[in-house]
Amino acid sequence: MTRGWIALAAMCSVAACRRPPQPGEPLRGLSAAERARFDSGKVVFDSAFTPEKGLGPLFNGRACASCHEDPVSGGVGEEVEHHATAFHPGGPGRACDELAALGGPVFQDSVTPLLRAALGIEKEPVPPQATAIAERTSPDIFGFGLLDAVPDSEILKYADPDDRNGDGISGRPNRFLDGRLGRFGRKAFVPTLREFNDGAFLAEIGITSPSVPDEGTVAGKPLPAGTDPAPDPELGAHSLELTDAFVRLLAPPAPLKQSSEARRGSAIFAQVGCAGCHVPTLRTGDNPIPALSHKEVAAYTDLLLHDMGPALADICFGLATPSEFRTEPLMGLRLATHFLHDGRAKTPEQAIQMHDGEGARARDMFEALPAADRAALLMFLKTL
Amino acid sequence: MHRVTLLSLASLIAPLALAAQQPTSPPAAQPTVPHDSVRGAIRAVDVRARTLEVTTGVGYALRVVRLQVPASVPITDRKGGSQGEPIKLAELKPGDVIRAAFGGRATGFVAYTIERVGRMESTP
Repeated sequence: MTRGWIALAAMCSVAACRRPPQPGEPLRGLSAAERARFDSGKVVFDSAFTPEKGLGPLFNGRACASCHEDPVSGGVGEEVEHHATAFHPGGPGRACDELAALGGPVFQDSVTPLLRAALGIEKEPVPPQATAIAERTSPDIFGFGLLDAVPDSEILKYADPDDRNGDGISGRPNRFLDGRLGRFGRKAFVPTLREFNDGAFLAEIGITSPSVPDEGTVAGKPLPAGTDPAPDPELGAHSLELTDAFVRLLAPPAPLKQSSEARRGSAIFAQVGCAGCHVPTLRTGDNPIPALSHKEVAAYTDLLLHDMGPALADICFGLATPSEFRTEPLMGLRLATHFLHDGRAKTPEQAIQMHDGEGARARDMFEALPAADRAALLMFLKTL
Repeated sequence: MHRVTLLSLASLIAPLALAAQQPTSPPAAQPTVPHDSVRGAIRAVDVRARTLEVTTGVGYALRVVRLQVPASVPITDRKGGSQGEPIKLAELKPGDVIRAAFGGRATGFVAYTIERVGRMESTP
C-alpha cells in the first residue's frame, strides 16, 4: 500500500514537472539557489513602498506589482502612464530629445503629500518643450529574461533598414544613449533587462538605489528641501538583484494547445505577412543560467523598430521616430486586456486593423481574408 | 634569498613612496582623480563656453550631466577603430557617444578626459 502511494506521488511529481509553466511561475529547470532568489525577488517585487521607505516624491506606482499585477505578479496592469519627448528632425543635433534635463521621459502621475504641500502639484508637469505626450500601458513581463538572453546578432540578422528584400518591411535597431543595441520598452530603447528594472525603481516608484543613486528632479528643478526624507539609497543592491532575478526567471506563459482551426490560423499568420515582424521564435545564446541558455523563445517579435504610420505616432525615443515602434512580443497575448502601446485597441482584431506603415500590407491581406480565415488567425492569437 | 628579495622590493618602493610625497601641482582646472565617469550621447556643445551636455542614465531614469571642459583636457577619438587621435572640442557633435571622466568642483563638474567612442546611429 505504502509503495503504491510512493509511486503515485512520484508520478504526480513528474507530471507537475512536465506541466507547462503557468503565468507567474518560474522557468523550468532552475537550481534550488535560483529558485530561492526568484521567490525572494517576488517579495521585493510585491512590496509596497511608503514615503518613509523612499516612495517618490514623484511616482507612478507604489510597487512593481502595482502595475504588473494581472492575473498575478508580473502580469499586465490597467494603469496608463505618461511619457513625453521633443522631436526636431532636420536640426543640427539629435532629432530626439528625451527631455532628460526637464524630468523626462517619464512624467510621473502621482506625488507624495510632502511634495504636494511644497509645490501644490498633483503630478509632474510636462514642460512646454515637449512635442508629444504618449500614453503607455503596463505589459506583462513574463519571459523577459529569455528576451534579454537573445544575442544582439540574433536581432540584427532580421534588420533590413533599407528594405533590400522589397517586402515593405524594413526593421531597424534602436540604440541606447551609449550606442548599445536597445530591446526593452515600446521603442526598444533599453539594452538590458537589469537596466530596465533598475531604472524603473526610480522612474516608476521614485526609489533610489546603488544603480540610480540620485533622486532626480521635478521637471528639471531640484526637489524642494525636506520632500524626500528617506536616506539614499532607498533600496540596497541585494534587493535590486533579487528583483532582477524574479523578473528574469519568470517563465513565458506556455502557448495553449491549438485546435485545428488555430493551427490553420498559425499558417495564415505567416502567409499574410504578420511573421515578417512578429518573428515566431528567437534563440537565446550562452547564459550563466542554464534555463536561459540556448533556448527557443516563442516571442513573436524581432525586437526591431518598424514604422507604424502617422495615426499611431507619439513620442520619439533614442533613434526611434514618433511613428516607429518595436514589434510587440505576442507571447502571453491571451492575458492582455487591451492592445497596442497605449491600449487604444480593445481586441486583437482592432489592433491589427490599426496597423499601418510597414504593417499596412499585412493588415490589408488580413482584411481581405475570408471571414473563416480571419477567425482562424484570431483563434491562433488566443493560444499565445 | 628571501631577505634579498625584500630589500630589492624596498629599494624599488622607497623612491616611489618618496616621489609620492613630493608636492605636485596639477593643472589648476583638473581634478587629480576622476570622481566619476559617464558614457552617453552628447546633447549640446558650447565651444565658446567650453561646456558639454551629455545625456545618460539607466533604463528610463535619464539625466543630463553638464561638464566644463578646460582647454587642457585631452579629447581623443576612438570612433570607428580610431586609435585615440586628439580632436578639438568643436569636432564633438550632438549625437556623438562619449566616455568622460570628471570631477566635482564648486563651479560644477569638470572634465578630466573625454573620448569619442561612437555615434548614436542604427549602425554606429
